[in-house]
Amino acid sequence: QIQSFFALTYGAIVTEIISDSQTVQEVNDRLESMGYNIGIRLIDEYHAKSAVVVGSGQPCMTLKETADAIAKIGFKMFLGIACDVASFAPDGRSFSLYLYDNPLTTFVELPPPEDCEGNMDLSQMQFSNIYCGVIRGALEQVNLRVNCSFVRDVLKGDEVNEIRVELKEVLADGAGEDYQEE
Amino acid sequence: MNPSSQYPTRRIEPPHHNHQSSPPRVQSIYDRPLGGNGGTRPGPAVSLSAFALLYSELVQYHQNKSSSMNDLEGNLERCGMEVGTKVLELVSFRERSYKRETRLMNILHHLSITIWRYLFGRSADSLERSMDNDDEYMIYDDRAVTSSFCNVRSVDAFVSGIIAGVLNASGFGARVTAHSVSAGGDEG
Repeated sequence: QIQSFFALTYGAIVTEIISDSQTVQEVNDRLESMGYNIGIRLIDEYHAKSAVVVGSGQPCMTLKETADAIAKIGFKMFLGIACDVASFAPDGRSFSLYLYDNPLTTFVELPPPEDCEGNMDLSQMQFSNIYCGVIRGALEQVNLRVNCSFVRDVLKGDEVNEIRVELKEVLADGAGEDYQEE
Repeated sequence: MNPSSQYPTRRIEPPHHNHQSSPPRVQSIYDRPLGGNGGTRPGPAVSLSAFALLYSELVQYHQNKSSSMNDLEGNLERCGMEVGTKVLELVSFRERSYKRETRLMNILHHLSITIWRYLFGRSADSLERSMDNDDEYMIYDDRAVTSSFCNVRSVDAFVSGIIAGVLNASGFGARVTAHSVSAGGDEG
């Protein structure tokens, strides 16, 4: 029941960020880092709840399982939307997430390029970039360093929202050498 | 068509719906149906935790920009004001309450019941009038979503801003603050 309030709050956030930023890239980056902060906390809740949903609570052993977990469990659990996984790269290190409904953009349209002034071309803004940050933050807590970016965006005229997730590195467990006991 | 007129005019045909003369346009939000009737298609159910996480980011963002609690509340209220103006129009359309509320008690009831229900999924717990001041009212909400995971109530300043925005857009000047008697306070 709070879908509208959710969308309106996000709109207020984006408005605030736009007024504080000088370039569109800055806006995108701030949205992504905001998502990162959310993601590192969201993963705990995901683990707590998905153990009930999935039943076994087994960790994902492959990137494909991770992708399915994000799409089928994660997006469903937090946003109630359907999300598909596709376009696995041949080396298995990247995939795409397709979002059909985007609760953040219920009331949103990007301004056309001719209406933008200065160096803020808001028609190029990644409005929902917060998702990329959430995915990056959440996966980093499970030792997967990824890059996420929007490839296709409904606000820009495409039919679906497509987020490309690329695995950069599998991080090692632990707090690093400085904290190792002698 | 009127030869004696100083301003020669030509009759304009009403627009055809196949849009053959206009260039192909990106499908925008303006092309989609407005979705009235209180939103006949129930949207996806956003979880409370998703909202709480997003809202905490909003508060943290402002916290980094503000130097004091008052500053933080002021910033959140400012954000809420803009939302409030839009919420009034949105709720009037979605809930089909096409009549404008011009009396104070009516707008306060509209706020605490219809608008509250639209935003938070349930109506406010109560609307009360202060005994001390004639023009002071309180809207009570025991489980405000904005501070559902928070100890302090001043984060509800965003909701105060929304209330103020709605009242200002309806022509009532108001000063709205959030207090914790497990409440949201309203001064008219």
